[in-house]
Order: sequence, then C-alpha cells, then structure tokens
Amino acid sequence: MNPEFQRNLWLELTPRRMILMAVVLGLCFFAAAVTDGPASGPGETARWLYYLIVVVWGSRNAAMSVVGEIRERTWDGQRLSSLGANTMVWGKLFGSTLYNWFGGAICLAVILTDLLGHRGVFVALIELVYYLAIGVIAQAASLLASLIAAGRRQGLWRLEVFLYQAVGLAAAVAVYLIWSMADPAGSILEHVAPTDFIVWWGWNLDARGFLLLSLAVFTGWTLVGCIQQMRLELKMRNTAYIWLGFLVFIGIYVAGFDAWLSANQSLTHLDAVARRLLLAGTTFGALAYLMVFLEPKDRVHYRWLGSALAKFRLGRVGGGLQGWMTAYLAALGVGIALFFWLGTMMLAADQAAIGAMLGFLTRDLAIVVLVNAIAKRRSGDFAAIAILFALYALLPAIVSGMKFDSAAVFFFPRSSDPVWLSPAVAWGEAVLAVVLAIGRLALPENENKVAAAAR
Amino acid sequence: MHVAPQTITALVGPNGAGKTTLLRCLAALEPPFSGSITIDGLDTREAPRAIHARLGYLPDFYGLYDGLSVRRALSYAARSHGTAPALVAAAVEKAAGRVGLLDRLEAKAGELSRGLRQRLAIGQTIVHEPKVLLLDEPAAGLDPQARRDLSVLLLALRDAGMTLVVSSHILAELEDYCSEMIIIEDGVIVGGKAVKVRDVERPRYMLEIATARSDLREFLSGRAGVDVIEADDYHALFTHTRNALARAKLVRELVAAGFEVSSFGESTKALEDAYFKEVGQGAR
Repeated sequence: MNPEFQRNLWLELTPRRMILMAVVLGLCFFAAAVTDGPASGPGETARWLYYLIVVVWGSRNAAMSVVGEIRERTWDGQRLSSLGANTMVWGKLFGSTLYNWFGGAICLAVILTDLLGHRGVFVALIELVYYLAIGVIAQAASLLASLIAAGRRQGLWRLEVFLYQAVGLAAAVAVYLIWSMADPAGSILEHVAPTDFIVWWGWNLDARGFLLLSLAVFTGWTLVGCIQQMRLELKMRNTAYIWLGFLVFIGIYVAGFDAWLSANQSLTHLDAVARRLLLAGTTFGALAYLMVFLEPKDRVHYRWLGSALAKFRLGRVGGGLQGWMTAYLAALGVGIALFFWLGTMMLAADQAAIGAMLGFLTRDLAIVVLVNAIAKRRSGDFAAIAILFALYALLPAIVSGMKFDSAAVFFFPRSSDPVWLSPAVAWGEAVLAVVLAIGRLALPENENKVAAAAR
Repeated sequence: MHVAPQTITALVGPNGAGKTTLLRCLAALEPPFSGSITIDGLDTREAPRAIHARLGYLPDFYGLYDGLSVRRALSYAARSHGTAPALVAAAVEKAAGRVGLLDRLEAKAGELSRGLRQRLAIGQTIVHEPKVLLLDEPAAGLDPQARRDLSVLLLALRDAGMTLVVSSHILAELEDYCSEMIIIEDGVIVGGKAVKVRDVERPRYMLEIATARSDLREFLSGRAGVDVIEADDYHALFTHTRNALARAKLVRELVAAGFEVSSFGESTKALEDAYFKEVGQGAR
C-alpha cells in the first residue's frame, strides 16, 4: 500500500471517528425522513451533506495536507523520505481526505438509493460520476493551490489556507455549472438552457460532449500540475516538456475560439490566422504574468541557470527553466510570428502594437525579478505589483491629467506617431530592466561573505 | 571540504553562522549558492531524491505524528524510505532497540516525554539504515543521562558503518563522540577544511607529576602506543589507546620509574582547544 496513504489511514480512519461519522449522518438522514417533504427527504439531505463533507471540508483537508505538515514540522523536507511525487500526490489527495470520502460514501449510498427508486439506473450512474468528479476536482485544485504556495514558502496562515480552499470551491462551482449545461441526464440544473453547439477551430461541435471532454482534460492537467508541483516540493527537477505540453495544449485550445473574436468590432480586419495567433499569444503572456508571481524567484536558481547558459549546457537550461520563462518564450515566439503575419497583411499599426506588447511584457517580467532580488522574500511580489500598478495606472493618470497624453507611450502599449515609437520605447525600457535584473542577480550574496571567503 | 566515511564530524560555530544552512545543503534540501556537493557519489542538484534515500536527517526543530504509535511511526519512516514491506517489522524492532524504545512500541508519540520523543525522532532517522546521518542540534533539551545515551548511540551507529555530521553550538555536547570538526563563521568554513580533533579510539590524556622531571617526555615517548603531543617537566599531553588495562600498565611503569603521578586522565577539551585555535588563526 502507498505508505503516505497508509499513514493517513492510520490517523484518519480510527474506529471512534468512523462510528461518530456514521452516527451523525444516520441521525441527519433519520431527521430528514421523519420530516419528509418533497424537497427535503434523505436523498436531498444527502446531496447537501455530500457537498459539505466532500467538497467544502474535503477541499480544506486537501489544502492542509502539505501546508499543515509544514506547520507541524513533519513535512518531507523536515524528515526526508524517498517517496516519489506520484506516490505522495495520490497519498495526500486521497489520504488526507479519507475521512471525508468515508462520510461521502455514506451520503452517496443514500443518494443512489434515492435515485434508483425514482429515476432509474442510468441517471444514478451519471450522478455517481458527477459527485465523484466534483469531489476529486475540488480537492485536487485546493491541493495544487496549496502546493504552489508551499513552494513559495508562504501560505501557512489560516486566511491563506482558506484561499486555497476557495480555489477548490471555485473549481467545484465550475464543474457544477459545466455539468449543468452538459449533463446527459439533465437532472442537476434543468432551468439552465443547454447550449446546443460550440464553434471551435471552425467546427460545430456538440456542446455537451465538448464541455465534458474539456472538464476531463482540465482535470487531468490539474492532477499533472499537482504532480509537477510536488516534484518541486520534493526537490526534484522538472523537465520542461510537461509545461511545454500544457502550453501547446492551451494555445491550441484557446486559439480554437477565434470565431468568438470575429464579433469584436476592433478586430474585424484580422483574418482567422491572426486572431488565433493573438489568442494564443495573449494566453501565453497572461500565463507568464501569472507564473512569475506564483513561482519562487530563487536567486540561487537563477545564478545556476545563468551559469549553465554561459557554458551552453542547453539541456540543463531547458530543464531549469521556470514556467514563466517558458510561457514568456512561447508568447515571444507567437508574437513574432503574428508580427510577421500582420506584415504580410500590411497592418503596420497592429505590428507596432504587438511589438510594444512584447516589449512591455519583457519589461514587466524583468521588474518582478529585479524587485524580488532586491526585496525581502515575502515583500518582493507586493512591491513589484505596486510598481506595475504605478506604471499602468498612476503615472498614466498623472500625465493625462497634466495634458501630456502622448507620454503614456512610456507606460503601456498604445498607438503613437510615428508608429515605431511605442515599440521602441517599450523595448528600450525592457533592455534597461533586464540589464538591471541580471546585474542584481549576479552580485555576490553579501559583502561580508566575500570578505570571509577571501580570508 | 571532505567528510570521510565512518566518521563523526562536528559542525560548530556561533548561532547564525550557517550550520543549519550547510546541513540543509548537504541534505539536498537547498541548492548551494555556488560550487557543488556530492554525497556517496551523487550530486545534490542532480539526484536529490536518491540522496534522500541514503540519508537520515534530523532537523533542529522537528515534529512527530502525535496520533501514531511508536511502532507505526517507525513503520511509516521505514516504508517512506523504501524499506520493503516484508522487512519493515524487523527494521522497526532494530531501530526501536537502538534508541531504547522497545518497551514503548504501542505508546502514542504524543504521549512521550521530550527525551523519548527525541529518541523516536532519531529512530525514524535511522530505521532505514542510512549511509549518512545528518543531525542538527540532536542533544538540545536532553538531560545528562539522555545525552550520554545519545553519545553511545552515535558511536554505535558509526561503528555500524554510518557517516555522521552533527551540528551544534555547544562544544561540550560533541566532545564525547566527534573525531573531526568543521568550524563555520559567517557562512564560511574557517580554514577551509575539516580539522582532525581527536581519534576516538586513541583519546588524548593529560598526565601531571608532583616533582619536576626533565625526562618525562623521553620516558613517555619510549612507551609502546604513546604519542606525546606536548610536555614539560610537570605535564604531558599524549594520545594512547582507550584500553583500560593498557592505561593501568602505563601508570604502573611511571610509578616504577619514580614519577610521582598526581593526576592522570582523559583530556576532555580537545574540541574546544581546536576550535579556539582555528578561530584564533582565522581572526589573525
């Protein structure tokens, strides 16, 4: 048996706790039965209790599974083990929530009994899949959020744990809504009108099938994310291929919705290829912003990466790239492709806009890295957000108020005269920020240690 | 720096010197700012998990699963370090025996006293028979008897083939079992290497005589197994086998030769002497 799961089994499923859960749930169902109404029988009660025990409480336990161990000083980094990331993820995901699944199983038995009596075997099976899926997805999303925070050595406080739980609950709501639209049995939310078809890459696809398949695929990516994040937490190095695979997937997935952009007035002059490149590039850029804040800005790692790059050890560099770096490179690649594609369409203003966007993206990422290298670990991201807020909101508002509207070109992408001014300014700022960031990372850790080393 | 196999190396330095950071680097938990670390032929950056399998690591602040019994806590530690299920029971018995917890296998970790919790933590660290053992302040908070037991245990683990690195800022704590010392100040190893402070098999002894004899050094040097470190007309510091009969024989020879032996015993400040000598050199 998975050792991590077994440890949780020993701790979570003690006879006393099992009896307590069974007695409490039994009393709830009995109370519901004796006060039976059309919408409040044991079946309906079991549904609400399932959400409460498996989704709400379970996502909290999943979020606490690693964070709680760090807090109690029992986590792997404090005692070491040789368990693999897969073993640890499955052991945590289903082990830390074992008691919840025990209660959930009792609720499911009541739900299924109710459904078999009223709606038949098919609906009962469909709902069984739904309830299992919403529980696993909510818990996996919470675990992933807590692992990302743990990697930053943050997230030990109650409020932060609630945020990871909230990520799980948000995932559960998404599952609920998607299922409501796509449920073949149509029994969850009958008042939500199902969408008949979705246009994706120009194909008219059955909406229910597409949504359910999307749900399954994104669940798979969430679990892969958990394993990748767990590998980092166990000090294992990830290869770039998994994240690269996700970027390829998400790029293709998002680019398929180009038909939705065709309704946008300002983009009607773009053809399908340009719209798809724009969607994919924007997604990569957004992921770069998201990941640069989520991932640890470890100066030691960046120095090591720089050293490997200087020695042209490209395999090591590829393996050491963080998620934001790969997303940035993907955004850069797609942006350049879009730049040249727009050139073939003689759209110079759009080319300039793309050039400026890439420049400001580069500048912003360098600013985040630079500020984190300067600031203390926990305050670096907040300082970077404050600087970006000033650059994108405060300073443009000030120059606008002073009637220097054209100066806004220094802060964010906008049309300029001449058209090359905006990208030129953006890339000028980007180069400056990158040089400063690299210079800061390359500095020795502190002067005292240099002096001591010399001694 | 190099840590030789089957030795117990003390990692010493003032609070905040970087002992814990170095231990975490050795445990492949932190990447080195520069340079590289190899444990049993494996680079900590390249194969951290394989190194974890070879290591036992006890941090300065640790937690236990209070709801688990001693047996289950040790079983989990063994399984999580890759011990085959069929071998777990024997490994648990052996580790519990080594740390003196055989009679408390069914007690919950949360019910144990501080000293017993420390033993359980060490038991979890050694249950998979690691090649290398890293201990951060292992004797902190232990009573004198528990410290003595710890010394005996660490020497036994070394004799069983393990290599130990023990961090502490209390030199007296390390005196009983460490043979080498690495001194850290401000994140840098003073002198750049481990200092051989003593041979546990051949401790240092201090002899004092009541009447001056200029031939004290010459006489001792002529005895089998005696290596004189320093001597004057009244005192001699020398290494000699730990064997009690051999020591008794040496005393008999001294008395028979007319030396008025007023004091003879093991010198217990080897680590401290070496520490201040190195730190003093560093300061110069």
